[in-house]
Amino acid sequence: MTISGVVRDLLDRQILFIGGKGGVGKTTIAASLAISAADLGYTCLLVSTDPAHSLGDIFGIEIGDSETTVSENLTALEIDPERTATAHIVTVKDNMKRLVHPRLYSEVDRQLELAAHAPGTMEAALLERVAELVCESGSKYDLLIFDTAPSGHTVRLLSLPEIMSSWTDGLLKHRAQSGRFAAMLKTFGNAGQASDELSHLDSVADHAPDSPEDRIQDLLSARRRKFIITRERLLDAKTTSFLLVLNPDHLSILETEKVITSLLSFDIKIAALVINRALTSSISGSGEFINSRRTQDSEYLDRIKSVFGSFPRVVVPLQPRDVYGFDSLRDIGKKLL
Amino acid sequence: MTDPSNASVWGRLGTLLSEFYNAPYRGAVARARRDEDDLFMLFVFAELLGIPNPATYYTLELQPVLLERFHQWHTRMGLEHSPLDHFRCC
Repeated sequence: MTISGVVRDLLDRQILFIGGKGGVGKTTIAASLAISAADLGYTCLLVSTDPAHSLGDIFGIEIGDSETTVSENLTALEIDPERTATAHIVTVKDNMKRLVHPRLYSEVDRQLELAAHAPGTMEAALLERVAELVCESGSKYDLLIFDTAPSGHTVRLLSLPEIMSSWTDGLLKHRAQSGRFAAMLKTFGNAGQASDELSHLDSVADHAPDSPEDRIQDLLSARRRKFIITRERLLDAKTTSFLLVLNPDHLSILETEKVITSLLSFDIKIAALVINRALTSSISGSGEFINSRRTQDSEYLDRIKSVFGSFPRVVVPLQPRDVYGFDSLRDIGKKLL
Repeated sequence: MTDPSNASVWGRLGTLLSEFYNAPYRGAVARARRDEDDLFMLFVFAELLGIPNPATYYTLELQPVLLERFHQWHTRMGLEHSPLDHFRCC
């Protein structure tokens, strides 16, 4: 079922994720959709999470890691996880330096420099930014469109809020247990007769409003809140929709199947498929080469129909020239909506 | 019950008795709590000990808050200085 209007309806969501295998045209589809939405009057933020950004290139302007106006109603952002991680680590460094002896400053620097290059740091920093945008969605912009990195990366990104919220839950559980012991200590009375090695615990039990206990609790709760809101919004079909882009070719069809399965394991359903660069019968031209390609594409389109029959699909024909710049993006946008 | 202004004999006797019964429990609970806090600290410093932690980026912000407790821990363990190469507190 190739339904016109299915993508148009998706513009009324708050968040759209555009995913798919590398090189299928995710950025093109995301940018076309964003510019068409902006033309229709939606204020739109287009965000690239791919470490190799190409949003700026497709619009022919410099974008980078800050919200940049592209045209009326359209703002774009290329997330730079390295910059986010560096800023986070600088904050931790400053907090640490307020607590240690100045002669240890170089140690603090060294340890935290290492943390900046630890595996997972960039991923966590990217998640942080995406989570912030998702939490704010619906307030500053009508529509948030994510042009994501190739499939595996995005599946991982979408699974992180769940992993991280269960991790913070675990830590908070231990804090709660410690708190219960502290409360019990209070009912036993603090006669100041506890043995010396435990005396500091008694003082912690009666903690002041700005104690480390409260600080830990606050930090963890703030994290948890962000992860939970992000996850809720991503899983709510009325708020967030996922579009997968694929090409009529063997590898792209196989990968799309895998992505659909792995997203389903996180309870995420695909709203529609965009079949990009299809050599449809509407494209004129003949000759042995082009006829063979056309036959192959129609075979693949049939296969897509039988494999992904239950998903709404939109076909975007192969263009005679590269797609970049506002005019050609608007043309693609018309075919999508 | 531990009100120091209560100077009557019965008051003092009451305090003594509740101390007598509560003291062993207080010690046990305080130790259980300390163990719980040590475990929590282990989670936060996991990566520094070579234990993979999925959330190092997020535990990082807890490290400064735990600095003092970390110091107490290593002195309690009889180590004069921090045993972690990359994490020194004194």
